[in-house]
Amino acid sequence: MKTIKYTLLFVGLMLFLVAPAVPAAVTKGPIETMKPVLADLTKLLNDQQLHGDAHKEERRKKIMSTIKSGFDFQEMCKRVLGRTWRDINKAQREHFTELMTKLLENAYIGKLEDYHYKSIEYVDQIIQGDRAQVTTLVNKDDVKLPVHYILQLTPKGWMVYDINIEGVSLVRNYMEQFRSILRTDSFDGLIKIIENKNRTFEKTSKGS
Amino acid sequence: MKRILFLFLLIVLPLGKDIAWAAQNHGVSVNLLDDDYLDENSYQQGSISDPLEPLNRVFFQFNDKFYFWVLKPVNEGYSAVVSPDIRQCFGNFFNNLASPISFLNNVLQGRFKDAWTVVSRFFINTTLGVYGFGDPATTEFNITSKPADFGQTLGVWGIGEGIYICLPIFGPSSVRDSIGLTADFATHPTNYMNWNFTERSAYYMGNRINSMSLAPNVYEELIKYSLDPYIAARQAFHEYRQEKINKHKNTEE
Repeated sequence: MKTIKYTLLFVGLMLFLVAPAVPAAVTKGPIETMKPVLADLTKLLNDQQLHGDAHKEERRKKIMSTIKSGFDFQEMCKRVLGRTWRDINKAQREHFTELMTKLLENAYIGKLEDYHYKSIEYVDQIIQGDRAQVTTLVNKDDVKLPVHYILQLTPKGWMVYDINIEGVSLVRNYMEQFRSILRTDSFDGLIKIIENKNRTFEKTSKGS
Repeated sequence: MKRILFLFLLIVLPLGKDIAWAAQNHGVSVNLLDDDYLDENSYQQGSISDPLEPLNRVFFQFNDKFYFWVLKPVNEGYSAVVSPDIRQCFGNFFNNLASPISFLNNVLQGRFKDAWTVVSRFFINTTLGVYGFGDPATTEFNITSKPADFGQTLGVWGIGEGIYICLPIFGPSSVRDSIGLTADFATHPTNYMNWNFTERSAYYMGNRINSMSLAPNVYEELIKYSLDPYIAARQAFHEYRQEKINKHKNTEE
């Protein structure tokens, strides 16, 4: 009689312990979140039908849409501006995020399209509270380049907000540049500088 | 009593959250999460002090002109004439000859296993690799290089980098790295070959142009991606060097 009682108690306790774990398992971990995004990106980059200048706009749109599903540009912009983010209004934040996203697209997507890597290997994952780091090895010509992604847990799940290669952080590099610019220019001055930079990119791509 | 203990364990053990799992270590494990640069207080540690900024910017401009007026044209001419394979051989030769520097600094940093690797590579590449022009140590034996320099050694010893100095011709540096650079020049084998200043400069420039021809256009890409190339270069230099030190500070053998 007593054995049955304790067995039931044991089973009850186990169910009680397992139940809260189920919703936690539903939120995908950092690597599990990144895998489909990077897989889709690799597929797009290798898609022969999207190669060449003729398909550039369509290709860029698809690439950016895939990247945005895993990369939180607004969080990135918040960190890049630091203190200044708190001093600007919602409209300015949205405008800045739009410009910054365009800048990163102009600066890096072209390079990404030309960097014909073979595969991405996931080697490490560290979670500390609501932040995580995923380490990957990008395999190109038998050289494995370690690329670290820094993620934050948002209501939409884990989202990347920084990329770190050989110790150099993308976000911190721009943060330093903006800090220097904001020392002598106002926020509007910074906006103008980014707009000019984007225009330069558009000019060079049209000319090529 | 036993039952209470049993139930207690049942409750406590499965509640372990935030388990960090590290897969196979490819020598790339590093924890970047300890430094959250959203925190304004930890901000200053993320950048290098630059009280000489106006002067450094002048040198940066000089280096920019030096790159576009001298280095780039010479590099383009050189790359057009000499095939990539041969340039790779020259690169191997230069790296092999600099082995004593890597060896010495690996020892000074306590990386004895890596120091032995440098010795092995030197012998393999000098013999099988024909005076260092080949690199069978990497291609045949998978013994990868373990570079080390004196600036890195000083950092591993805990010496701070000091202020940022943008050196003419040599590029981004710091007080610590400039001392390191001087020490590296002093310990380079060419120092003991009775070469005069011109010959040594020619060797340095030859090495520099050759490396440039093999590496991607780092400087031009930096200008392309950044809004303030001077700051971008300074920050990238600081973080890159810091990573080289942190990697070996935490894995003391």
